Amino acid sequence: MRRYNIFYFFQQAFKGLWRNGLMSLAAITVLLSCLVLMGSFSLLVYNVNVNIEEVAQLNEIVVIAELDATDEQIAALSEEIAALDNIKEVKYISEEEGLESERFRYGEYSYLVDDIFENQENILPDVFKITYEDNSRVANLVYQLGQLDHVSKVNNRTDIANDIENIKSGVSFIFVWFLAILFVISIFIIINTIKLGVESRNREISAMRYIGATNFFMMTPFIIEGIIIGLISAGLAYLLQTILYNAIFNAMSNDYKMISVTPLSEVQTYLILGFIVIGVIAGILGSAISLRKYMKV
Amino acid sequence: MIEFNDVTKIFPNGTVALENINLKIEDGEFVFIVGASGAGKSTLMRLLLREEQVTSGVLRVGDYNLNKIPNYKIPYYRRQLGMVFQDFRLFDKKTVYENVAFAMRVIGEPTSVIKRRVPTILSIVGLVDKYKNFPSELSGGEQQRVALARALANNPRIIIADEPTANIDPKMKMEIMNLLVKINSKGKTVIVVTHEKNIVDYFQKRVITIRDGHIVEDRIGGMFEEDETV
Ligand SMILES: Nc1ncnc2c1ncn2[C@@H]1O[C@H](COP(=O)(O)OP(=O)(O)O)[C@@H](O)[C@H]1O
Ligand SMILES: [Mg+2]
Repeated sequence: MRRYNIFYFFQQAFKGLWRNGLMSLAAITVLLSCLVLMGSFSLLVYNVNVNIEEVAQLNEIVVIAELDATDEQIAALSEEIAALDNIKEVKYISEEEGLESERFRYGEYSYLVDDIFENQENILPDVFKITYEDNSRVANLVYQLGQLDHVSKVNNRTDIANDIENIKSGVSFIFVWFLAILFVISIFIIINTIKLGVESRNREISAMRYIGATNFFMMTPFIIEGIIIGLISAGLAYLLQTILYNAIFNAMSNDYKMISVTPLSEVQTYLILGFIVIGVIAGILGSAISLRKYMKV
Repeated sequence: MIEFNDVTKIFPNGTVALENINLKIEDGEFVFIVGASGAGKSTLMRLLLREEQVTSGVLRVGDYNLNKIPNYKIPYYRRQLGMVFQDFRLFDKKTVYENVAFAMRVIGEPTSVIKRRVPTILSIVGLVDKYKNFPSELSGGEQQRVALARALANNPRIIIADEPTANIDPKMKMEIMNLLVKINSKGKTVIVVTHEKNIVDYFQKRVITIRDGHIVEDRIGGMFEEDETV
């Protein structure tokens, strides 16, 4: 096979886009909207996940021992905790370690900690940090821990973590379906755009067939047309997404410091790659599907 | 050589378009195919183009057995044929030059070859001075000459013309026919399907008459049978 003129293929593809201008515009608009929705959803889920992970670090039970408990009593308590059901890991933090982490917390003012606690015994309680195996039996575990001797307090933040976990799986479920539907809609529009192009050139294509044009020769301009639609949509979607996200990022960073919003620069590579990949796949799939019917011998 | 060996074509709806056709056309022959409307002439052409496949029998063209040719080879097979239709089927948005050049581009000819060859071909059909015109600016006869030039572009061994003079001014019909004879004299096989009695009678070539899907006469220097005229 001789080398075909690449320039010819691209020229034809752009002519095709131009010829069905309105339909191409519609295809680009719909694909672009789909991409921005996909992008927004992905970024939302990503940020929710980041925040959940931060909250999930609270996903432990903190048992605070009584201040005046003796070393022997603490040792006994440690064994009792370890013997309980549904325990994954018990981390013992002694008073000294507690002081050390207080010093760390105060950074350059850590000398204040030493000033305050100097020559004093039993200022900070001993603490056990407990992680567990089974979410559903946490309430029971918390109750059992509370019943043990020399326990002054049981802190538990697991409820919040559980709630968020549930929201997260719900959102992910809707997310996947929503994306799938949007993707199908985009492909459908591209199929129709390319179909219009093929139909308006039906006479030409049948004449090409008699001259001995291969399917490759006849299909390539349409495939490229689909790819161009995908690429243009991806580029515009990225622009729009950047503007939208930065606006939201600025608003959120100013007003709700408790929620951490990832700056776009951290995820932009994935975003642009994702847009291009999805856009191009939609373009190729759409044109391939619409050509299938026409490319008989 | 073109060889129909006991070829039958039955369409899916049950229409028997051709039945037990036996026919040999040697390289370099000039053949008229005549017959009433619906006789099966176009079906014969479409079998040759491998647009349709035979229902039974064997059809060979040159080195190709059209019963066995795989789909991907069909475009390459068709490059041996130059097709001319009664409705011209030119590329409306391309100029005369581009119509011919495009046929060469389709098969991947380099631009240097295209630039050299198109003027030569246009001079054969006498259209050099119209190379910049679009088909809509030409008469029927001129358009058919462009179609002929395009059919010749890739130097095919066989020219197939399905009613080439049907849509052409009576004065210009002979011009097209003379061109086809001239092309034949350069060694190409030429097959002309036609309805036009006076043309067939004038040229005194081999005439194959088809009636209801059968070859009823095959005679060199033949005439158009009176009862076949439409
Ligand atoms: N695709 C088709 N499906 C069914 N019948 C067809 C088809 N093409 C042609 N025919 C029938 O086959 C017969 C021969 O048609 P055709 O070869 O076109 O005749 P001609 O070209 O001699 O006028 C006619 O009866 C026609 O109706
Ligand atoms: Mg016919």
